[in-house]
Amino acid sequence: MSTKVIGQRIKRNEDPQLLTGQALFTDDVQLSGMVHAAFLRSDHAHAMIKSIDTSVAKKRPGVLAVYTAEDFGDYWHVGPLQVPPPLAIPGAVFNARPLPPIAKDKVRFSGEPLAVVIAESRYIAEDALADILVELEPLKAITNLEKALEPGAPLLHDDLGTNLAADVRQEHGNYAEASAKADVVIKRRFHIDRGAAAAMENRGFVVDWDKRSRQMNVWSNCQAPIPLRNTIAANLGLTASQVRVITPFVGGGFGPKIMTSQAEDVLLPWIAMRLERPIKWIEDRRENFLATTSERDQIHDVEIALTKDGKILGFSDTFYHNTGAYDPYGMTVPLNTHTHTTGSYDIANFFTRVIMVFTNTMIVTPVRGAGRMYGVYIMERMLDIAAKQLKLSPVEIRQRNLIQSNQFPYKTGIIGQDFVENILDSGNYPATLQKAVEMIEYDKFVKEEQPRLRAEGKKVGIGVVCFVEGTAVGPYEGARVNVDGTGKVTVVTGISSQGQGHFTSFAQLVAEQVGVKVGDVRVITGDTGHFHWGAGTFASRGATVAGNAIYTAATKVRNKALDLASKVLETPLEELEIEDGVVRVADIPQKSISLGELATRANPMRGTIDPNMEPGLEATAFYGPPHGATGQGAVAMIVDVDPETYAVKIKRFVIVHDCGTVINPLILDGQIQGGVSMGIGNSYYEQIIYDGHGQVMNASLMDYLLPLSTDMPLKMELGHISTPSPLNPLGAKGVGEAGAIPTPAAFAQAMENALADEKIEILQSPLSQSIMWQMVQEKRK
Amino acid sequence: MSDLYAIKLTVNGAVVEREVEGRLLLSDFLRHELCLTGTHVGCEHGVCGACTILFDGQPVRSCLMFAVQANRHEIRTVEGLGTMEHLHPLQEAFHEKHGLQCGFCTPGILMTMIPFVESHHNPTHEEIREALAGNICRCTGYEFIVDAVQLATQKMHAGMKIAEASIANAIQEKR
Amino acid sequence: MFLSIPERNKKKGNGMNLEGEHIFNGPREEVWAMFYDPNVLASALPGTQSLNLVDNNTYEGAMFVRVGPVSGAFTGKLVISDDVPPESCTLTVDGKGAPGFAKGVGHVKFADMGDGKTHMTYDGEVQIGGMLASVGQRMLDSVSKSMIKTAFESLDKALQERVAAKAEGRAAEYKPPTETEFAAAVAKDMGKSVFEIAEVRMVLYVVPIAIILAILGYFFWR
Repeated sequence: MSTKVIGQRIKRNEDPQLLTGQALFTDDVQLSGMVHAAFLRSDHAHAMIKSIDTSVAKKRPGVLAVYTAEDFGDYWHVGPLQVPPPLAIPGAVFNARPLPPIAKDKVRFSGEPLAVVIAESRYIAEDALADILVELEPLKAITNLEKALEPGAPLLHDDLGTNLAADVRQEHGNYAEASAKADVVIKRRFHIDRGAAAAMENRGFVVDWDKRSRQMNVWSNCQAPIPLRNTIAANLGLTASQVRVITPFVGGGFGPKIMTSQAEDVLLPWIAMRLERPIKWIEDRRENFLATTSERDQIHDVEIALTKDGKILGFSDTFYHNTGAYDPYGMTVPLNTHTHTTGSYDIANFFTRVIMVFTNTMIVTPVRGAGRMYGVYIMERMLDIAAKQLKLSPVEIRQRNLIQSNQFPYKTGIIGQDFVENILDSGNYPATLQKAVEMIEYDKFVKEEQPRLRAEGKKVGIGVVCFVEGTAVGPYEGARVNVDGTGKVTVVTGISSQGQGHFTSFAQLVAEQVGVKVGDVRVITGDTGHFHWGAGTFASRGATVAGNAIYTAATKVRNKALDLASKVLETPLEELEIEDGVVRVADIPQKSISLGELATRANPMRGTIDPNMEPGLEATAFYGPPHGATGQGAVAMIVDVDPETYAVKIKRFVIVHDCGTVINPLILDGQIQGGVSMGIGNSYYEQIIYDGHGQVMNASLMDYLLPLSTDMPLKMELGHISTPSPLNPLGAKGVGEAGAIPTPAAFAQAMENALADEKIEILQSPLSQSIMWQMVQEKRK
Repeated sequence: MSDLYAIKLTVNGAVVEREVEGRLLLSDFLRHELCLTGTHVGCEHGVCGACTILFDGQPVRSCLMFAVQANRHEIRTVEGLGTMEHLHPLQEAFHEKHGLQCGFCTPGILMTMIPFVESHHNPTHEEIREALAGNICRCTGYEFIVDAVQLATQKMHAGMKIAEASIANAIQEKR
Repeated sequence: MFLSIPERNKKKGNGMNLEGEHIFNGPREEVWAMFYDPNVLASALPGTQSLNLVDNNTYEGAMFVRVGPVSGAFTGKLVISDDVPPESCTLTVDGKGAPGFAKGVGHVKFADMGDGKTHMTYDGEVQIGGMLASVGQRMLDSVSKSMIKTAFESLDKALQERVAAKAEGRAAEYKPPTETEFAAAVAKDMGKSVFEIAEVRMVLYVVPIAIILAILGYFFWR
């Protein structure tokens, strides 16, 4: 593969628009006659709805309409499930309870919508919310994962008779036999609590129904525009072609914006058709905490069985997973935990079981890292505990267990979120760890610096962990590449973009093949009016799955251009080359034709064409992987802990990563750094606090702490190793979630190491200054 | 509908006169009344900094102010910096250093840092981080933003040196 | 607030716990009677718009509540049950409004101290929801404790007036504190407890250093 453009550190095409305030975000859409929606949300986490009186609200000047579940009549329906149940796993129990768009009869989480007001302005709509009289009969709420399964626990879904949402077991090898033979068996329990995706742009939705053209236009910052279009059309009995979903610039996604079949996308299109007015709904920050899905709430009971020299014989993990009040997103998150627990290690015997539980809390769907982080966390923590017990260094115990390069493709025997066996495709796991260890100068720190700093009274510690990131799962994505008469290129793909630099990296893939400047490639993502095949942006799959479709389509266009040029220039194909938008004969550069001219000739307006000719310099292609491609890496960090306040300075942060072929190193660095910042948030700052009654206690950015510039290390030291994936033409693997996955595990190890004389054992995540203080106080008692 | 108040203010150099409700937030006024949608709203409670604008030259959170408070004041938004063809040196530095990803927080960060880059010639990374600490970015992890701000101060300072030198030359030639 | 997860799971009801005591400078019977006088109770909490004893044991009322950034009108019910005059009773509060809801059960005991004073002890749990919880929580624990304390001080004054009026054979007059006075008292009281939080302690280290630096900077860079 020639690499003139792919692999170049190119500045982003999309920047000038974003930097000058000229980029269109969902809330920037202004339509004539547009009205505004606001949702009344339940204050109670669990209650029966006795009555909702909207009569006063309806009378407020400026209010067009107020609706409750009853007002939607037969249109009210639950679901559908956005992700199907894991039927591919033998014996899997899954109780589907899809999401109702608006609560009917019963409320199951605090924040669930009860009514929607449509008014001339958002201000009036919010005023009218206070006019609605709601009578709820509170029920006892359940938020504790284990207690939810005890007899007599309050039931979320009475018809189900249990709060068990799913029970899925998978085993590779035989853990019981392995543990019987082991020299050492260690058991621990881990708690991992919730965090928010907290994209800076809250969710938003604008719908415009044109009665005369019978066409609906929707602007949404959704990560899955095509599924969104399909469900809106199906709900309303329209053909899919009557609905166009446009995802304009999106202010970050990080997972939850993948959700469809929620209040806004089910109810507002229906209302817009009735009121014949465009409607806008923009979520506010408090709603983002109460009404947007979140993630990370599990309890793990873990066992590791080892030989006395630190070789892992088996690993067992039985965990409770909180799915919240409903389970519309199936089991993507816990299945990611299943496939990421053994991670980078060669473990012959592995048992994993998830017990998924309904509770009166927000629905859990993927957030950057998506289930992978817990798997990596418990494995890495258990290795740390084992290393201490066996008197090995954390590096040594890892080195002894890593999958070696000659073991690929490595079959794990565990079925993942894409319902096929998780096979690690390629990599060089020992090399990433080695590089991280060298970059952080592990031995020097442990032998020289740490003792010196400790002698000065400093609490400094080091942590080093490995991780895998399953990415680029199926089913497929597609793209169409077109060169028009101006010689400029447009590429359209179904996935939407939330800041990952697709407008540049996709342009590079096309520029490479079609032979034009990167700046001359216009990239359109997530507009069903342009392209309507594909599943969406999730699981770090955009650059790899859509990227390979784009690359293949661009290759087709290249071949088409060369074929036509060969005829026009009467020159054999192999003597032609494309550069700067011109096809020319390599030896006689003046004998040439521009791509624009070729595009015009490829689309004749009179005369006849060859029977098999497809007009234009245009091609469409699709790519679907047999299974995901797996990135891998290692993180090493040094922390300096204030012994009084437990404030932490991250003195050094090293991440070595292998994501195969790199399309744009600049964008890659940004993706990794961003993932790390979320990982640091998840390590020490971010935690959604629920009280025992299902109330969120910190639904604002005053109390939910996102990492600030001063919380981050001064420099993230990045190391790259490239082992191209054999699964796709580009050799790429995803990278979007990499930084978020290993960081909490590395942080915990470093904190334990820094506070070594306190002899604490960290068995939870996230941590915080208060938690660390508490943990030390308890240990000192 | 509550009472309307007549306000007159300067926005990006142009005089604007409007009648607004007393409770209308400055951020909503800029975005929805003046269609200056480059100013973004991320949290509505003054924490995230996405809605930062320059108010008489000082960075303020437009979500924490009412439009009526801007009466007879001067406002500058991101639309008042460079254009797509001619970026402001700070914008150019963000482009150069990949200081933005989704770009939602970016206008607020630019407006926060404008007085900083104008008044600091060669700030340390720590100083830049302190100045940035009131703005939240979820995408970048801040490192490339810090690099961009530093590059901008260097460029602007160098630019000033060149301008000073050319003025000095011009004066010399005249003599 | 940031309790470690296992610790948080150990906690029983998981609502907000309130407990405390107060010494009233008056006889037990008089204190007891005071709690059945709507005028007195209304005077203890500013923002009370109405408070009516609808039957022997039930108050209904409306109140304007302000907790940090959260404020709004509440309507609610206060039921006194298990009453053993003048020794003990159970108070059940149930209020809701635009900013959310609050429900609570408290057990109150009055002990005669023998010197004409009454020792009141209370403990209970309050459950909150809506905006009050999701945004107001950061302030609520300390605000409510201070509000209770300030309210008792108002009740103390009311009790004095009640006892004095009785002695003088006239009708008692209750003067509630203004909202500003009340807020000032609450704010003053709240200042004390925040320093126990680790993050705040750190700020306390940083602030003096910052001030020193600022002073140094002032002299160096002038």
